[in-house]
Amino acid sequence: MSSSLTDTTLVDVTMPQMGVSVAEGTIVAWRVAVGEPIAAEQTVVEISTDKIDSEVPAPVSGVLAEILVEVDQTVEVGTVLGRIAADNGAAAPTVPDPAPESAATDPKPAAASPTRPPDSKPDGRHYSPVVQRIAAEHGVDLASVTGTGRGGRVRKQDVLALVNGNGNAPEPPMHIESPYRPDPDVPSRPRTPAPVPPVTSSGEGLSRIRRTIGQRMKQSLDTAATCTTWIEVDMSRVETARAALGVTALAFVARATVQTLREFPALNAWLNGEEYARVPDVNLGIAVSLGEDGLIVPVIHQADELSVEGLAARIRDIARRARARELTADEVLGGTFTITAPGQYGSIMATPVINQPQVGILDFEAVVKRPVVITDADGNDSIGIRPMTILGMSWDHRALDGALAAQFLAALRQRLESVT
Amino acid sequence: MPTMTYLQAISSALRDELRADERVLVMGEDIGVFGGAFKVTDGLYEEFGQDRVMDTPLAESAIIGTAVGAAVVGLRPVCEMQFSDFVSCGFDQLVNVAGKMHYRQGLAVPIVVRLPSGGGFSGGPFHSQNPEALFMHSPGIKVVAPSTAEDAKGLLHAAIHDPNPVCFMEHKHLYRRVKGEVPEGVYETPFTARIARPGEDLVVIAYGAMVDVALQATEDLDGAHVEVLDLRSLVPLDRDAILSSVKRCSKVVVVDEANMTCAAGAQVAALIAEHGFEDLDGPIVRVATPDVPIPFSPPLEQAVLPGVDRVREACRELLAY
Repeated sequence: MSSSLTDTTLVDVTMPQMGVSVAEGTIVAWRVAVGEPIAAEQTVVEISTDKIDSEVPAPVSGVLAEILVEVDQTVEVGTVLGRIAADNGAAAPTVPDPAPESAATDPKPAAASPTRPPDSKPDGRHYSPVVQRIAAEHGVDLASVTGTGRGGRVRKQDVLALVNGNGNAPEPPMHIESPYRPDPDVPSRPRTPAPVPPVTSSGEGLSRIRRTIGQRMKQSLDTAATCTTWIEVDMSRVETARAALGVTALAFVARATVQTLREFPALNAWLNGEEYARVPDVNLGIAVSLGEDGLIVPVIHQADELSVEGLAARIRDIARRARARELTADEVLGGTFTITAPGQYGSIMATPVINQPQVGILDFEAVVKRPVVITDADGNDSIGIRPMTILGMSWDHRALDGALAAQFLAALRQRLESVT
Repeated sequence: MPTMTYLQAISSALRDELRADERVLVMGEDIGVFGGAFKVTDGLYEEFGQDRVMDTPLAESAIIGTAVGAAVVGLRPVCEMQFSDFVSCGFDQLVNVAGKMHYRQGLAVPIVVRLPSGGGFSGGPFHSQNPEALFMHSPGIKVVAPSTAEDAKGLLHAAIHDPNPVCFMEHKHLYRRVKGEVPEGVYETPFTARIARPGEDLVVIAYGAMVDVALQATEDLDGAHVEVLDLRSLVPLDRDAILSSVKRCSKVVVVDEANMTCAAGAQVAALIAEHGFEDLDGPIVRVATPDVPIPFSPPLEQAVLPGVDRVREACRELLAY
C-alpha cells in the first residue's frame, strides 16, 4: 500500500516478544479499524500466545493506515502486524481510549508487560509505605480495602485485618485442602458472558481459553495412551508438619513429588511422537483454576531446588498472579510434570488428563479422616482415625508401564508418610 | 532498694564514684563549700576535701580545659556547668579540645560534663535551655539524658567509666519531682534506649523530661496502646530500638523539649525516614519547642514548652490518620 499523504510517516506495529522462549503470537482482535485515529500507547491490537493474552500499544499517535495480519492468524515475533500513519509533530490525543481494557495508562511496551498490571490507585487514594508493603507481600488489592482512617484512608490496621482474616486464620479443614485457597480479590478483567452451549460443534461461543483447553485436552487423549493409577496415603505426618510450618499440604506433596521424580526420572520427561527425552530439571506445573475463565498451569522451574517452604511460597505466588492475569508467557512453558489439586469441594478421585508432551500428571484431592487398620511394630492391628488421601497419577503407557507408575506412587507415599 | 529523687540519685553516683575510685574528682562553680546551686554535691566537700571537690572560678572554659588536662594525665574529672546554658563559654574546650583529642593525639579524655538543663520553672532564656543537639553534632562526644532516678545514677556511673567525653544532660525540672527505687552501689545503665511503656498503635519517642510528659499524655488515649520509647542516650543513638518500635507501631511522634530546628528529635525523624520508611503508616510527627528563647513569663513558658495537652493532641491526630 502507498500513502498519498505527504505529511505523514508510516510506523510499523510489530508482534512483540512476550517471553524469551515465545516465538509466535496470534491476533485476537484489532481494537481500531483502518482509518480510525489511535493515540500513542493506546492498545491497537490484542494478541495471544498459548493461554497468555496481551495487548500491543500504538508506538505513535496517528491513524491506523493498514492491517497486514488478520484476526486468528499466527505469525512470528517481529512480524509487522499493521501500520500507523503518524501525526507529524501533533500532540498525542489526551483523551484516553474509553474502552475498558485500554492500555493507555500503561506506559510500558507490551514486550515487557504481557499482561496488564492492576491499576494501583484506581480511585486516586494514596497509601502509606507500610500499607503498600503489606499489600504487596500478601497480594492484597488495596482498592478493595475499606479504610477507617481520616477520609477513608486505608490504615495499617485495615490491611492487616484483611491479611489476618485471610492469611493467619487457622488453616482450613483438611477436606478443602487445595491450592485454590481464596485469595484476596484481584481486579479481574470484565468476564466474557457465559456462552450459551452451542448447538453445533463448531466451537462458536466458547471463549478462547476454553477452546485452547479443549483442543489441548482432546489432543492429549487422542495422543497418549492414558492410564490412571491410584494409591492411598496416610497424611498424618504431613498434617502435623504443615501445621508447624504454616504451609499447605500441597507444598509437601509437591516437594515429595519432586524428590520422587528425581528417583524415577523416566516420569520427568517429554514424549513428542517417537521422541522421548528425560529432562534434567524438574519443572513442576501446578494447575490453577481461573474460575469460569478456565484453567492455567504455571510452571515452577527447577522446582527440585526448592524446599517445602520455598515451594509453598512459589505456589501461593503463581496462583495469585495467575488469577491476577500477571503471568508471563515463559511461566506457563517448559513444564516436565504437573500436579492438579482440585480437592477443595471434597472430591476424592479423578482421572487427570496429561499435559502434553509430559508423560505424567498427579492428582491430589481431598484429605479425609477415615478409619484405617494400623499395624504396630509388633504386628498387632488396630483401627485408628487417620487423615487419608488418594493420590492418582495419569501416565502415558507409550512412555512407561504400570509397574513403574505403581513404584513411583509407592515411593511417593513412603516419602509423605515419613515426613518429619 | 532505697527510694531516691533524681537529684539524690546523681549525688549518690558521685559519692559512690569518689569513694570507689580515687582518680575521680568533681569540679565546678560553688559545688564545694556551698554544695552546688542545686545541692547536688552537698556534703561531698566535707567527705572528700578540696582536692577532690574543687570550687572553680566563674569560667566554664577553664573548668572544662582543666578537666581535659586532668583526664589526659589519668584522672576522671566530673565537671558541673551550673546551668547548661553556660556551657557555651566552654564550647571550644569541649568541642574542639576534648572531642577531637583522641582523633588528633590518640589520647583518651574520660571527662563527664554535667549539664543541668531544661525549663519549666520560669528560669528565663539563660537558665532553661536544652543544648544537647549542639554536642550531638560534634564528633567525639557522647550525650546521655536520663529520665528516671535509676537511670540518672546508672548513666552517670557509665559516663564516668566511659573513656570518652560525655555530656550528661540532667534535667533540673526532674531533680525533685522524679522519685524511684535506685539500686545500691555502683551499676551501669547502658547507652541504649528503654521502652518506658510497650504498645503497638503508635510510639512516642522522647528523652529527659519529655518521657514523663509522653507517658502522661498517652496513658488513657481512647483505648489506644501507645508505646513510649525513652532514648536515654542521644550519642550513640539506639537505632535498633527506634526502628524496632517504628516497625511495631508504624506511627511515630517525636518529642523534644529543645527548640525544634536540628533538635535530637530531628535526627531521630531523619533516621526513621531513611531506614524505617516501609514501616510507616503516617507522617513522622514532631512536637518541640518553637525556635524562640524560653520566656520568663510562666504562662508564656508553658505555651512554648511541649506539654501533656500538645503531645496528646498530636497523638490523637496521628492515630486518626
